[in-house]
Amino acid sequence: MTRALATATALLLAAVLAMGVYLHILRRNERERAQNLPDTRPISAPVAGPPSHVTLYVAYDDPGVVRAQDATVALPADPGQRGREILHVLLGEYVKRPSSHELATGADVKDVFLVNGNTAVVDTTPAFAEGHRSGILVETLTVTSLVKTLTANLPGVKRVKVLVDGKERETLAGHADLQCFYDVVTVEQLLQQLQ
Amino acid sequence: MLSSEQKGKFLVARCLFLDRDGERKLLSRNEKPETRTSSGRTLAVATLLLVLIASAPSAEEKQLSIYGPQVSYSLPVVEHNGQDYVALLEALRPFGSVTARAEGQKWKLRFKNNLEAEFRQNALPAKVAKQRLRLPAPFLLEGNRGLVPLRSLPAILGVMLDTRTEYHEAGRRLFLGGAATHFTADPGEAGLSVNFSAPVNPLISTEPGRLTMTFTRDPVVSNANVFRLENPLVTSIAFSETNGRAELVVQGRVPLLARFMAGGKTIDIVPAPREAQSTPPGAPPAVAPATAQAPVSVASPPPPTLQSLAAKPPFLLMLDAGHGGDDPGALLSETLEEKAVTLAFARRLRGELQSRGISALMSRDADVTVPMDQRAAMADAARVALLVSVHAAAEGRGVRVYTAMIRSATSKPGDFLPWDTAQADYLLASRALADLVKAELGKHEIPSAELSAPLKPLNNVAAAAIAIEIAPSGGDVASVNAGVYQQRIAAALAEAIVVGRSRVEAQR
Repeated sequence: MTRALATATALLLAAVLAMGVYLHILRRNERERAQNLPDTRPISAPVAGPPSHVTLYVAYDDPGVVRAQDATVALPADPGQRGREILHVLLGEYVKRPSSHELATGADVKDVFLVNGNTAVVDTTPAFAEGHRSGILVETLTVTSLVKTLTANLPGVKRVKVLVDGKERETLAGHADLQCFYDVVTVEQLLQQLQ
Repeated sequence: MLSSEQKGKFLVARCLFLDRDGERKLLSRNEKPETRTSSGRTLAVATLLLVLIASAPSAEEKQLSIYGPQVSYSLPVVEHNGQDYVALLEALRPFGSVTARAEGQKWKLRFKNNLEAEFRQNALPAKVAKQRLRLPAPFLLEGNRGLVPLRSLPAILGVMLDTRTEYHEAGRRLFLGGAATHFTADPGEAGLSVNFSAPVNPLISTEPGRLTMTFTRDPVVSNANVFRLENPLVTSIAFSETNGRAELVVQGRVPLLARFMAGGKTIDIVPAPREAQSTPPGAPPAVAPATAQAPVSVASPPPPTLQSLAAKPPFLLMLDAGHGGDDPGALLSETLEEKAVTLAFARRLRGELQSRGISALMSRDADVTVPMDQRAAMADAARVALLVSVHAAAEGRGVRVYTAMIRSATSKPGDFLPWDTAQADYLLASRALADLVKAELGKHEIPSAELSAPLKPLNNVAAAAIAIEIAPSGGDVASVNAGVYQQRIAAALAEAIVVGRSRVEAQR
């Protein structure tokens, strides 16, 4: 092998190696970028049902109140799916801009499970908690709005538990307790204070 | 108390006795009925003895107590191959986020996201924060739980926390960062005053002529073990450390009583009132001659008195500065984190309270991570009269005062309080205090609102508990950290606490 051929081969090998490293970096960057994108995929199949009148309890940061608001939503027959659709509409109010009580893009309800007919377990998306503003009042408004809306439209539900991405979480964003079950009576009492 | 080994021997002896008894029963089947009755009675007595032995309390578990400037806690000590071990993860957890993972024989630990330690199963060498250490006994791995020899813990914590450590091996007490509470004893004609350098909250038990103060959470230390006194009431004070706690035993010539003074910084030892000195038969006279045998060594031990129960804990507050360490709380502005505001305000409020003669503990007095449950546990362990949790927010104006969002309840004395609803019994007192705080804020022309909130750790506190959320005074978010504004709020709060003290005391 001539010296020139050896040099050319070495250069080519070095180029191949450099391209490989570059490709690896590109793939890693792309993966990180994809992970940081808000998850905007639909989380469940759309449901069909007759339009029904529901009451949403909408939070207002200024002046820190929760107010009842009527809405019309297509609701399926299954109580769990009804709960999910109602909360989906409620959280839709908060992710749009401007909003009376802004929540992060991607904040939504993944599912609502009814246990023993009197306990509802609400599973939320990671963005619901990860992107939530921190503060006693703002977190309390979110929880009160969510729990009251659910219990007002699903008679019989006496307790509500909130999960984030299927898991229990200590607090919503540093303040509101998410390890407890929310009791409909105490939420009602708080609502009186927030009106 | 029997050791487990002694208990085992005693059990064996009882079983042999039973065997012999059973054999006699077999041989004498045709004997008279009263003989069988006697045998049955013996069997019943033996069974009763077995039950009593089985229900006897087991030997006390070994404990290590760690005292830091902000936190005090105890850890269980386990024994392996004659060596004492503790779980390193549990020892570090109160100081910040800590994670560990096992990789084959290696156990790697990460503390506060920037310090690492590496240990190897059954090996002596270890690497802690880039420093090489040699453990006095092999590192042990139980699942994902890393156990280090107890004697190596002071060195490991010293490196990981970058602080001075002092280990009292005989008493299994570890002091970090110079944490120590000293005391002096001032005898007087009316009794004895024990003055501490910081508020303390010992468990007090009394017997005629003897009063014992047991400190588990207070870093009480002493240079001397026994103080002899020429006093008509008190003859000596003995200090000892054992199994993660310190004890001060006061020997007296008469039955004694403890009184908390100066917000827990002083404990006065005085003679018990005459009516409380219910002298049992055979007990020494109320005032024994100076040459008499020490009351503690009287042959028939006196029954426990109610004096320890009657000793009311001091009116002590806990100021819980929200967040801290790894948890910054809300980002109030680009440069202002909630944890800084809460700590500054808690310190300011402590000053205001102290100027009004009220002592206050801090759940944290530095930028350290303190888990939510630990804050409640600290308040409950210190038997505080009131917890004030401090938070800050950018939204709204003035101050919002919160109480727990649970149903009020009344449990019977002696009932266990469920952790999740420990506040229920104290909710009325908490709400009464919140009313007073709102009223005082109004007097200081600070806008306020009173709400309930699902806020940790209010639900878990077995005492009156409120939280405040400081919002800006005007349009500028930075005002939440302004000295003048904070001082006005702190003064209003301190006034409300002074006014509401009697109500809170009544609830206790």
